Amino acid sequence: MAGSFGSIGTALSALRYQQVALDVAGNNIANATTEGYARRRVVGESLGPVTPAMWSRTDGHGSGVGVGEVRRMVDPLLDTRVRREHASLSYLQTTQTVLARVEEGIGEPGDAGVYAAMLNFRSSWQDLSLNPNGDAARQQVLGSAATLAQALRLQTSNVANEEGDQRVHAQTVVRQVNDAAAAVARLNQTILVNDQNGLDSGVLKDERDQMVLKLAELSGATTVVQSDGQYDVSISGYALVDGNRAGALAVSTGITATGAADGLPVTFRIDAPWGSTAIVGNPGGELGGVTELLTTTLPGYRAGLDAVAADLASSFNSQHAAGFDRSGAAGGAFFSYNPAVGAASLTVAITDPALVAASSVNGGARDGNNADALSDIGGHLDSYQRLVNGFGSTVAALGRQTANQRALAGSLDSSWEQQAGVNLDEETVNMVQAQRAYEAAARLMTTIDQVLDTLINRTGLVGR
Amino acid sequence: MTIGRVTQRMMTAGSLDHLQRNLGTLSRTQERLSTGRQINRPSDDPTGTTSAMRLRSSAASQAQYSRNAQDGIGWLTQADAALDSATSTVKRARDLALQGASAPATGPGAREALAVEVDQLRAQLISQANTTYLERPVFGGVTSGDKAYDATGAYVGTVGDVNRRIADGITVKVDVDGPAAFGTGATSAFAELDALSTALRAGDKAGITAGIAALNNRIDTITTARTAAGVRYQRLELADQSASDAFLALGNQLGTIENADLTKTTVDLKMQEVAYQAALAATSRVIQPSLLDFLR
Repeated sequence: MAGSFGSIGTALSALRYQQVALDVAGNNIANATTEGYARRRVVGESLGPVTPAMWSRTDGHGSGVGVGEVRRMVDPLLDTRVRREHASLSYLQTTQTVLARVEEGIGEPGDAGVYAAMLNFRSSWQDLSLNPNGDAARQQVLGSAATLAQALRLQTSNVANEEGDQRVHAQTVVRQVNDAAAAVARLNQTILVNDQNGLDSGVLKDERDQMVLKLAELSGATTVVQSDGQYDVSISGYALVDGNRAGALAVSTGITATGAADGLPVTFRIDAPWGSTAIVGNPGGELGGVTELLTTTLPGYRAGLDAVAADLASSFNSQHAAGFDRSGAAGGAFFSYNPAVGAASLTVAITDPALVAASSVNGGARDGNNADALSDIGGHLDSYQRLVNGFGSTVAALGRQTANQRALAGSLDSSWEQQAGVNLDEETVNMVQAQRAYEAAARLMTTIDQVLDTLINRTGLVGR
Repeated sequence: MTIGRVTQRMMTAGSLDHLQRNLGTLSRTQERLSTGRQINRPSDDPTGTTSAMRLRSSAASQAQYSRNAQDGIGWLTQADAALDSATSTVKRARDLALQGASAPATGPGAREALAVEVDQLRAQLISQANTTYLERPVFGGVTSGDKAYDATGAYVGTVGDVNRRIADGITVKVDVDGPAAFGTGATSAFAELDALSTALRAGDKAGITAGIAALNNRIDTITTARTAAGVRYQRLELADQSASDAFLALGNQLGTIENADLTKTTVDLKMQEVAYQAALAATSRVIQPSLLDFLR
C-alpha cells in the first residue's frame, strides 16, 4: 500500500488539476467574444501508482491526476474549407462591389443617361429636318450632339477612374499579403520553438490561423500543414511561405510603381529566398477579383463604349459628308474621334451652326432630307443597349453568386463556431464541476488529516 | 446543417446576419418606394432595362412623328387655303372674260375696266401663289428665297420635295409643286391672265374665247392639285392620330415596366417592417438568457 502520506499527494494533484481546469474555463469565458479564439479544453490523465524502484512492487491504486494537455478544439480539415470558401467570397465581393459602383454611374434606365442623350440627338435632327435653315434648330443639333459626346466621355472616364483606383487597390493588397506572409513565417518559427520547449503556444496558433485566413481572403492562398506543425502557404500553387522563410509578392506587369497602367495585362511574381517565380493565371481572393476587373471586365466595358463612339463617329461623318450645309458646300466631319484614344476623344467637330449639312441637294436649298437621314442612322442605339444589358446581367449574376457564396461561407463559419466557439453554459458547468471537485479534494485532505490525527493522537491510549 | 453544439457567439452572429438581411430587404423596398421606380439600375432587372430602353426609344420616335405630322398639316392647311382662294380668283377672271365675250354692246371703256380688273386678279393670284408657312413659300419647293413666283409671274422656286417623316420608313410630301398648280413660263396662269387682259383691251373675240378655255383648264389643274394635297392632308392626320395613340400606349407600357407598384410596394414595406421588428424582438430574447441567471 502507499505510504501514510500518499493520499495527501493525490489530494494535492487533484487540487492543482482543478485549479488548472478553473483557469482554462476562466480563460475561455474571458475570450468568449474574441475573434478567432478557439476554445481550450483540459485533458486530464490519471496517474498510475508510483513504482519506487526496479523489482519493487506497489499495491497502490493510482496516485492522482495530472494535466495531459490543454487542447485547442480546432479541426484542420474544417479550417481548410473555411479558408477556401472565404477566398471565393472575397473574390466575388470585391468584383461585385466595384461593378455595382460603376453601374450606379451608368444612370440607365433614366432621363439623364447616355441613352436619353442619344434619343435627344435623334430628335434634334428630325426637328432640323422640319426647319432646315433655322438657326435655332441647327444650334439645337450641335447642342444635343455635344451633350451626347460629353455623356459618353463622362461614362468612359468613370470607368477609367475606377480602373485607376483598382490599380492602387491591387498594390495595397500586395503589401498586405506581404505583411501577413512575413507574420506567418515568424509565427511558424516561434510556435515550433515553443512546442519543442513544451510551452503553450495556443495564442500564437490562434493568431497564425487568423493570418492564413486573411492571406486566403486577400490572395486565395492555400495552406498546407507540415508534419512538424509549420504552415506552408502558396498562391496558385507557387510557394509564398516555406517554414520560417517568406517570399514577397510583387506586381510584375500591368501596374507601374506610381499606380499607372503600362498597357500590359496585370501579372504577379513571388520574390523569395529560393528564387523568383512568375505566377501564371489569376490568383484568387481579393487580389484575383481586382486582377479580373483590371484585365477583363472594366476594359471590356470601356471597349464597348469605344465601339459605340466609333460607330457614332463613322456613320454620322459619312452621312454628314453626303449632305450640304447652308451655303451649299458639302458637309465636313461632324464628330471628331481618335480610334487610338477611344470614346474619351469623341467631340463635336463643328461649332458654326451654318456648317450642319441638313440638305441633301446642292445649292443652298432649304432641304431637310439629309437631316432626316441622319436622324435614322447608325447602330449606336442598339449596341449601347446591348452593352448596358450585358453589364447589368453581369452585375445581377454576380449579386446572386455572392449571396450564395455568403450563405455557404456563413454556414462554414457556423460549423467552425460549433467546433471551436465558447459556450458560456458549458464553461459555467465546467466551472461548477471544477469547484465541486476542488471542494471534494479539500475534503479528502481534511479526512486524511483526521485519519492521521486518530492514528497519532488517539492510538495507544488504552489504560491511560 | 446539423447543429451539434451551439455557442453564444454563433447565435449573436446569426442574429446579426439575419437582422442585416432583413434591413437590406427593407432598404431596397424603401428605395423603390422613394424613387417610385422598380428598376433603379440595370442589374435590378436586365431584361426590363432593355425593354424600358426600347420603349423609351419608340416613345421618342412616336412623339417626333406626331410633331412632324403636325408641322406637315400646317403646310398643307396653308397650301389648301391658298389653292382655294386661287380657284375663286381664276373663276372670277373667267366670269369677267365671259362678260367681255358675250355682251355685244361692250364698248372699249367697259372692256378696259374688265381688263384692269383682270390685271388686279393676276397680281392677287401671284400673291396667293406666294403664300408662306413659317416664312417658306408653300409652292416654292426647297427654295431658300421667300417667293415662289416673282412679279412678272416667272417661277423662282426650286422644285424639290419637302418631306415629313410620319412613321418608320414613311415620308409624306407636304408642299405643293407650284408649276403643277400654276404652271410656268408661257403656260402659267399668270401668262394666261396677261393674254386675257390684252385680248379684252383689243376686243379680240378669238383671244377672249381662247382665254376662257385656258382658264377653265387652269381651274381643273388647281382643283386637281388641291385634291392631291387633301389626300396627303388626310394621311398626315391619320398618322398624327396613330402616333399620338402609340405614344400614350408606349408610355403606359414603360410605366408598368419601370415604375413601382405603389400599393404593392407599400404593403411589402409594411410586411418587412413587421418582420424586422419580430426579428429584433426575437434577438433580444434569444441573446439574453444563460445558465448564470439560474445559478445562485
